[in-house]
Amino acid sequence: MSYITPLSKRKGLQLFGSPNEIFLIIAIAVLSLVIGFTNSVFFSIATPFDLLRSSLIEILFALGLLIVLVSGGIDISFPIVGIFAGYTTVVIMLNLGLDTYSLWIPLVLAAIVGAILGSVNALLIAGFGLPTLIATLGTTGMFRGFLLSYIGSVYIANIPLGLDEFSTADLISIQTGSGTLARLHVLVIPVLILAIAIAFMMRRTMFGRTIFAIGGNEESARRMGMNVRWTKARIYMLVGALSGVAGILYISLQRKADPYDLAGTELEIIAAVVLGGASIMGGYGTVTGTILGVLLINLIKDNLILLGIPGSWQRAAIGLMLLIGVMSQAIADKRRAKQATVIEEDAS
Amino acid sequence: MFGTDGISKAFGGAKALSNVSFQVTPGDIHCLAGENGSGKSTLIKIMSGVETPDSGTIILGEERLKSLTPREAVAKGVQVIFQDFSLIPNLSVAENIALSTDLLEKRKFVNPARNREVAAKALDLIGVDLDLDATVQSIPVSSKQLVAIARALNQGVKLLFMDEATTALTRKEIDQLFSVVRSLKEKGVATVFVSHKLDEVQEIAESITILRNGVVTAEGPIADFDRKAISLAMTGLDVTEVRLAPEVPSDTATVLEVSNISSKGRFKNVSFSVKAGEILGITGLLGSGRNEIAEALFGMTAIESGEVSVKGTPIALKGPRSAVSAGIGYVPQDRLTQGLFLNQSIRRNVMASAIERFLGAAGFIKGAEINDTVNTWVTDLKIKTDNPDNPATSLSGGNQQRVVLAKWLAMSPSVLILNGPTVGVDIGSKREILEIIRDKALEGMAIVIVSDDIPEIVQIAHRVLVVHQGEVSAELTDTAITESSLYKELAA
Amino acid sequence: MKDISRDLTRRLLSDRKLTQLIVVALIVFLAFSILVPDLFLTPRNFVSMAFQIPEIALLALGVMLAMLTAGIDLSVVSMSNLAALSTAYLLVTQVTDGGGNVYLWIVIAIVIGIVVGLISGLANGAIIAGVGVTPILATLATLTLYNGIAVGIRNGQSIIGLPPEFTAIGNGSFLGIPIPMIILLVAGAGVALYINKTGLGMQSVLVGANQEAATYSAIGVKKVLLMTYTLSGGLSALAGLIIASRSASANPDYGSSYVLLAIVIVVLGGVNPYGGFGTVTGVILATAVLQMVSSGFNALRFSQFFYQLAQGFVLIAVMILNTYVDKRRMRAKKDKAPKES
Repeated sequence: MSYITPLSKRKGLQLFGSPNEIFLIIAIAVLSLVIGFTNSVFFSIATPFDLLRSSLIEILFALGLLIVLVSGGIDISFPIVGIFAGYTTVVIMLNLGLDTYSLWIPLVLAAIVGAILGSVNALLIAGFGLPTLIATLGTTGMFRGFLLSYIGSVYIANIPLGLDEFSTADLISIQTGSGTLARLHVLVIPVLILAIAIAFMMRRTMFGRTIFAIGGNEESARRMGMNVRWTKARIYMLVGALSGVAGILYISLQRKADPYDLAGTELEIIAAVVLGGASIMGGYGTVTGTILGVLLINLIKDNLILLGIPGSWQRAAIGLMLLIGVMSQAIADKRRAKQATVIEEDAS
Repeated sequence: MFGTDGISKAFGGAKALSNVSFQVTPGDIHCLAGENGSGKSTLIKIMSGVETPDSGTIILGEERLKSLTPREAVAKGVQVIFQDFSLIPNLSVAENIALSTDLLEKRKFVNPARNREVAAKALDLIGVDLDLDATVQSIPVSSKQLVAIARALNQGVKLLFMDEATTALTRKEIDQLFSVVRSLKEKGVATVFVSHKLDEVQEIAESITILRNGVVTAEGPIADFDRKAISLAMTGLDVTEVRLAPEVPSDTATVLEVSNISSKGRFKNVSFSVKAGEILGITGLLGSGRNEIAEALFGMTAIESGEVSVKGTPIALKGPRSAVSAGIGYVPQDRLTQGLFLNQSIRRNVMASAIERFLGAAGFIKGAEINDTVNTWVTDLKIKTDNPDNPATSLSGGNQQRVVLAKWLAMSPSVLILNGPTVGVDIGSKREILEIIRDKALEGMAIVIVSDDIPEIVQIAHRVLVVHQGEVSAELTDTAITESSLYKELAA
Repeated sequence: MKDISRDLTRRLLSDRKLTQLIVVALIVFLAFSILVPDLFLTPRNFVSMAFQIPEIALLALGVMLAMLTAGIDLSVVSMSNLAALSTAYLLVTQVTDGGGNVYLWIVIAIVIGIVVGLISGLANGAIIAGVGVTPILATLATLTLYNGIAVGIRNGQSIIGLPPEFTAIGNGSFLGIPIPMIILLVAGAGVALYINKTGLGMQSVLVGANQEAATYSAIGVKKVLLMTYTLSGGLSALAGLIIASRSASANPDYGSSYVLLAIVIVVLGGVNPYGGFGTVTGVILATAVLQMVSSGFNALRFSQFFYQLAQGFVLIAVMILNTYVDKRRMRAKKDKAPKES
């Protein structure tokens, strides 16, 4: 029989099985060296700590988006769901006088609000079968409009104490040689646990395999007996809850609740997930790749100054970088598709 | 015992099935034969629960049912393997086979090791060895089919329908499939081959039911039938394979000259020429390279070495547009996805390629002229429609194929390549389409027909090339072109 | 004259989607006329709408062209701002008070603005057709890039103080019709002609209907896509110039909510997001409907956030309606005889 050697046959390190992930690691390493040699301030323990701190919330959003992308859809409403859930949670807590030290209350509250918003997406996409881009574009408008019209358009500086103090909850804090304080935020641990949990869910649960199946061939998944509709509904509710949690944590780390925040950040996250190896067509993607994608993008974004790019050109630099990212993914996809069509000569 | 008793089904006034009864016993290898439009796919849909019969009963073992849901059908052991196999491309072989039972058992967690075990067992039952961890999209079509069969076995199949199972297989793969079917037989599974490929059917089937126009026209043990009898029952015509194509004078100019073309992994050192008015048939098993040659001559894939000339001028084939400007037209294999714009009007479909020929100043389309051309072709090819502005979906398969033909004839090509021109077309249209092709040849067009429909090739071609593993293995001319000689070359 | 109007009426009414849109327009019009007649039913209001419709309609036309080919262009607003900034920059630096060559510079500045739009659109086309990035990702990326360039070249600042000879275009009227509206009608007619009467236009519809079949029909798909996105860039530039002219300023971040609005308009206007169908009349009419909603909301003192909410709602409602209508049509077909069995 003649066929190409499938990628799955490569028995490499189980964690970094895909060549795409290896490429990302190399890119991060090379880039770090380049930045470091341009400006040696980079080579300090503060750098990875800061990088993690600025990436953690995005990783949460990106993991949610990964699940959606693997199922073959796209969701651009997640940042709005995040800020909606977060801001609403703060408003509720302040209005009900729940100004507690508890971290659990806001987290649970935000998750619930996020899940409710996510279920709107679920209804439209799983229930009515609307195309995902337009459906989530519509809900973005609805959620944002609703938030700013009915819940509040006011910047809140005094967020509940528990959330406020959490922003300085550091796991490790080291005084570096140059006098700055290098702080590794405690959020690293729950995010890591969540990442592992999601990876496990995607690979080892029926729910996860169904998500991959839907992304691969929705009709075949249905014929196999998978409950496609219900799975899709669960996906969007789960992503909603996840985004809600990310949103409230964002507010905590920022120490303010600004309902205008987070809007427009969807592109970066989408690019990070796509760079991480998830296909926009569905059926492919890994947690590791996604995390690496976010780290790479933030590495560049946070250190543009060190590379000598003035502030006003940063947005353009990010746009260019994202463009290069999606272009290289497209080229890699094309090459992979071309290889699949050439049949090797039968030895017999 | 499985089957139907007196099933009838009508769709909006047109009877798809009339009082159809057939039976299969466990371990039977049965063939359900019929041309397109005979009702065989409606019958499968009824047996698998996708459609409900208007009258009659479905027999599943001890039960006699008036209707069935797809889930019930699977639960009672009825499975259909369609040509797309319904597999998940990005999941592994093991998962494709085992996940269905995980679902049945309502498992929440997936255990790769257990899945591999379950899959290996199912594959063992049919005597096949596949890489369990390979993703389904990376394995060849024949392996995909085996995975689909293993999955059906895993779900406890008792009656397995295989719809046109051998279309995409090479000879070796067909042999493997047949040995798998025989082991299914040993396990007591009844297999029904739905097919119109008589030669293969005769090889494997033990009994046969033939449908024509929704009615059973013949049935019984296969030994009772010869090719002619089956063909007669399927088509109602005494197809004595009268050659359609009249002779071509030997001094006519050569229109297409192909010299030693090769494309790595696809074909090697292929040479042939076609004169004006000649119809060249190219046949071979799937994977032999016949498709690849056709698509390469239209510029869809690159020709790495060798030369192609049209009317004496060498041409560089870089994409379909270069082929078209050289005077080559191509009616592709898959009418629905490659040939037609289904939701666009018939008119637009017919002018799709010719648009650029009818441009006036500043790129504006010469509306009146192009409409005239479209109307001419619709009439010429007898496309049955009351309004050329209707969408292409409103047409039957045969008429749709005529639209694709019209599109290319409107370009007045010097060479017309047709890939599987009568696939999925009803009997009446088939003959008419072949006659249209013959007429064009008489007008001087050079024609290449790539097909695996041997009777069709015998009917229409002046010369036939047999392609085997990327190379031309035989060339038959004139009286040497008979079904038996072609089958012999193919099997070689 | 009578024949032409009869023909036009017949054509308008034969398109079911267009009829529905006209009905919607009438309902919206009546609703606001009843609710806030003194603010809505004034000539001043309608003139104001007539000035505001063109810029958004032009952006929507750009998105429509992309959707015809089963793609999408999310970068229209960024391209429009970039073009506006280029033109404004030229005007502000080259035009000195009352010099005789003001008009020359205005013409040059306008041409440069349009060229900037065409080039950015061409770049989109090259990324989509040449490199093969899906339109969603490609235009999402370029939207950031173009916005970033617009921010970078002026350090994030807007350009103000455009010469009155230029702002006269955006704020003036000719024979009672606002000049921007004239520009829209001319551009709209041009786009309609392109789609219905030119080779490339008709080919773009086919590419959207079935890209694979288009390739097999020897249609130059890459050429079509390049043209499509370039035109979208040109239309966006026109929109940007009108915006700059009307507001006498150019701002790199203007109209960030217009992308959603453009897509709502396009979907409401009957364009098929899966490709293969769309009309200019539908888009312009849909823009008018949404402009009425905006002005009606304004009169009713609803906030602009509520308007955004309404847009999202309308988009989703129209999509759901379309899905149900299509489903019912499919079911009706299924009951008829199947073609081959």
